[in-house]
Amino acid sequence: MDKKAIQQLPNFRPNKTPVKKTVKEVVYHVVGIVLSLIFLFPIIYMLATSTKSESSYAAGLGSLSMFLPDFANVGTMFENYKSVLVNYDIWKYALNSFLYAAIVIVLNVIVNGLAGYVMAKLRFPGKRLLSFMIIFLIVVPVETSIIPLYSIVKIMLGLKQQMTVIGVILPATISIFNIFLFTQFFEGIPKEYEEAARIDGSNTLGVFAKVIMPLSKPIIATVAVFCFIGVWNDYLWPSMILPSADDGSWPLLPIQTALMDIQKQEGITTGEIMSSLIITSIPIFVIYVAAQKYIVQGFGTAGLKM
Amino acid sequence: MLRTTLIILAIFVALFVGFVIYDLKTAKRRRETYRTKSSITAYLMLLPAVILAFLFILLPILYSLGYAFTDYYLLKPNDINFIWFDNFKNFFEELKTKGTLYNAIKNTLTFVVGVVPLQIGLGLLLSLFVNRPGIGSKIFKVCFFAPVVISLSVTSFLWLQILAAGENGLLNSLLGVFGFPPHDWLRDPKTAMPCIIVLSAWQGCGYQMLIFLSGLSNIRKELYEAASLDGANIWRKFWLVTWPGLRSTFVYIIITVFIGACRILTQPMLMTGYQDHTVTLSYYMYQQGYTFRWVGQSSAVALIMTIFIGGITLIQRRIFREKK
Repeated sequence: MDKKAIQQLPNFRPNKTPVKKTVKEVVYHVVGIVLSLIFLFPIIYMLATSTKSESSYAAGLGSLSMFLPDFANVGTMFENYKSVLVNYDIWKYALNSFLYAAIVIVLNVIVNGLAGYVMAKLRFPGKRLLSFMIIFLIVVPVETSIIPLYSIVKIMLGLKQQMTVIGVILPATISIFNIFLFTQFFEGIPKEYEEAARIDGSNTLGVFAKVIMPLSKPIIATVAVFCFIGVWNDYLWPSMILPSADDGSWPLLPIQTALMDIQKQEGITTGEIMSSLIITSIPIFVIYVAAQKYIVQGFGTAGLKM
Repeated sequence: MLRTTLIILAIFVALFVGFVIYDLKTAKRRRETYRTKSSITAYLMLLPAVILAFLFILLPILYSLGYAFTDYYLLKPNDINFIWFDNFKNFFEELKTKGTLYNAIKNTLTFVVGVVPLQIGLGLLLSLFVNRPGIGSKIFKVCFFAPVVISLSVTSFLWLQILAAGENGLLNSLLGVFGFPPHDWLRDPKTAMPCIIVLSAWQGCGYQMLIFLSGLSNIRKELYEAASLDGANIWRKFWLVTWPGLRSTFVYIIITVFIGACRILTQPMLMTGYQDHTVTLSYYMYQQGYTFRWVGQSSAVALIMTIFIGGITLIQRRIFREKK
């Protein structure tokens, strides 16, 4: 169809003029900026307040400087961070969180990866019962069984101080949904890879470690990222299981649980609270920026949960 | 407790062995061949996952089911008696007398009714807003997503400062500029739940936006072009092209947001504590089971919640599937 014919169509509307288009662009961006500011204002407030001492926070109340960092005292801008890191031991709690997350990630990938490989690639009697149970546990929304879990772990470990760390880590190492993710991914790996390795004399475990795992970096990264976010953000379960340290020894609490205690400390300033919140958020922020690709992939596969 | 665990384990092993024998018997008919060596390898590789899943997923679920009919008190694990439906009788008793449980149900429903449409609506609007090429929309997308990165507990503590009573809170000090007196947002029964709804929608809608965006990217461009050739305006395009194209995404989102909203616990727990005007079902469950140590009563509430959420989820799936 040539141009003239198109213009004669009954519903033809000519392209908008460039001026109209520019106006539209400007309006779009202004609306976008206003919306972004509305969304970001609590975060800006948090960042700004974290640089202020109690007196300069009080001085800025009710004015625009609530959302601006404390430019008047640039030298002491990071005093609050130093204070919460050293005086309130946040760095110890953060280290704990990293440690728990690292152990959980390694165990989670091994345990669920092995199970996913078996479900995807091996044939054995009784497989149908297991696949049915996996689907059942994913689809049925089971209401928090955290209280029975607590009684089981408590009886299992006897809640000795040193053992409680195991109580925090072990329940997080199994995830039915991760087994499902691994199974889905492994099913897409062509048989030829395995067969080639088998001809070279590898056994099943060798094939898994030498062939399957190196091919599965994307799914391992996705699982690892979500494990990290899960462990880092969990505060309830550790708060039930772990004792809070009050005798000066190395604390066992992860950072999110420790936040609950830090809030209640006497004499803590608003600025210090805000810096502790920011320090807690930084690793997750870094993960979201660095592992964007895998997180989006994870969101994509989350749709499979249906 | 150990005995019950062993009995459950025995039942599961028996069930599994039964299936194995059945599979072996019918193997020939299904033209399936099992090799002993590879089957044993498979079992060994499954073992860690099966043990952990049994201990930390299956057992808690089954115990939760069982405890609902007992008078289990956490500190007396050796003295558990079946009291059958007494826990559920208490449940309805407390409902009738408008006790804490009544408030918990009322607040949870308020939260669900408020947050589900707000969060999904915001997510949808934001995704439509940023669904266009250009650097501007990309930056806006990051801004709208930023609250998701902050965890729920950090969000709660942050908003605790924003909504703080007295003149030190951000909201009160801003309102103070316009001459409003400071208000105790979280202790006032009228404003506490709405505040929690707003901050939860703020925190969560970026996630919904991202899922809607992935749904939007699956809609073919030609459909829009065809619609504009037919002279459809922006509304008709939305109803004729965008909305049908987003249906499956929408079903997924509405079910996940609904289930998540029913489970709300963090915000009231960290922001107000165990108060009648903000207590929710999950919080009630946690408090009964952990703080008051009445595991039996707590499990009964969990069971009722599971049935309620499962039922509503089924209904939602049915409704949206039939409309296809």
